[in-house]
Amino acid sequence: MEISAQNISFGYREAEYPLFENISFRISGPGFYSLFGFSGCGKSTLARIIAGFLEPGAGSISITNLDNILLTYNTERLPGWLSVGEHLAKVVSPRSSRAELDYFVSEFGLSDYVNKKFFRLSMGQKNRANLIRYLVQDFDMLICDEVLANVDEPSRNHILAVIKERFGKDTILFYISHNVEEVCLYSKKIFVIPAYGVTKGRLVEIKGLDTTKKQKEGYGSEKALQATILKVLKAASTGQNPEGET
Amino acid sequence: MRLFQFLLIFLIGLLILEGVKYVAGLSDYLIPPPNEIITMICQKWRNFLMPALNTLLVAIGGHFLAIVLAAVVAFAARSGSVLSNIVKTAAYNLQAYPVVAIAPLVFIFLGDGLASRLLIATIICYFPLLLNFLGIFSEPVQDVEHFFKQTGRLDSIMEIRIRVFENLDKIITVIAGSATLAMVGTIVAEFLAATMGIGYVIRKALYQNNLAAILSCLLYIGLCSSFYLLSLEWLGKMVKKRLMA
Repeated sequence: MEISAQNISFGYREAEYPLFENISFRISGPGFYSLFGFSGCGKSTLARIIAGFLEPGAGSISITNLDNILLTYNTERLPGWLSVGEHLAKVVSPRSSRAELDYFVSEFGLSDYVNKKFFRLSMGQKNRANLIRYLVQDFDMLICDEVLANVDEPSRNHILAVIKERFGKDTILFYISHNVEEVCLYSKKIFVIPAYGVTKGRLVEIKGLDTTKKQKEGYGSEKALQATILKVLKAASTGQNPEGET
Repeated sequence: MRLFQFLLIFLIGLLILEGVKYVAGLSDYLIPPPNEIITMICQKWRNFLMPALNTLLVAIGGHFLAIVLAAVVAFAARSGSVLSNIVKTAAYNLQAYPVVAIAPLVFIFLGDGLASRLLIATIICYFPLLLNFLGIFSEPVQDVEHFFKQTGRLDSIMEIRIRVFENLDKIITVIAGSATLAMVGTIVAEFLAATMGIGYVIRKALYQNNLAAILSCLLYIGLCSSFYLLSLEWLGKMVKKRLMA
């Protein structure tokens, strides 16, 4: 299970400057990975390149043992002619089960809303309903592009802990977020795209705390969390790697 | 409300006409007095209502045919294939052509019966419907389709279902808007050559310089059009209500 990007470059036609130049990175083995960066730095573009929706202008991406890569983002909508529950029941994949679907619905706090149409839900509920339908699909890698952007913080933490525990051992979860605390807490590795200018060379890679739900509940090392947060923010602001890793 | 609006506008139009007659000192022969018009509308209502209903039925038939045809062609032409591009270009160019101008050809080939009226009503409201349907059917609704595309569930039926649902308001408006065109097409066809319908009655009244009869025709045309539009809007509301419930 590996994704290896070699010297990829990308620029939108209408843009004055390219977004990336010769960037390389490697995601190896299952686990919870994050992509962090400030707005407009190219996180979603990189996600679309990894998922195969965009072709890099130069360079290559090699994908090994990842047959199903799914990408989900926060403005996705469920079809409006069915209730949320009806839609979820229809799209649950053979790998997943009805019991698993019910588990996610309950854990994500949507049990009381499955009979409603999607457009009747709040923004946070919409985000959760959308994520659930992806979690009951067959995938080797799930790229989540700010999928919980409208969900309140306690619920978001709970959801992340739940999906990490369920999928973190045998699939790659690639989580894109603006929330520095959650990427530091749950990620095995955080890839940081610097905010300034054109991103060149390697993405900054920072080791995350890689906690699980249980660890998080009894999590005592505030210092370690703060130190990781500082590293990520510094990398995002300056492009330098505070860990001195390449 | 729509019926009331139409009646109000008709009444205002009538008052303006009578005002012009009074100011310009025109004769009763040219513009009949109000009592004559009212008598014509009330006493000879059967002479106008029946042809107007006949026209309405043909217009509904033509409109329905145009909707089906436009939907089928737009469905077939929605992909980016060469055929779809040809259909789109042809539709854009043809809609700029005054379709009424080919009505005489239709009468020559099909005679002055039902088929000609139906065909002209269809082709007059077909192109606006086609252009709108083409736009709606070929425009992806990315935020809804993305999931289905990735999971291999996006077949043609699902694609159209999503696009129609997401553009329901637009479709209802276009269908209601083109209903007036269908009515216009049918009346024009009847006026030109047919031997039935309210357009034919107008033609006869015109030859007799009978303005009271023409005004009566206009009233009944307006009532029938308003009724049809109201019915379509009600139907659209019901469909939407059912889907959104």
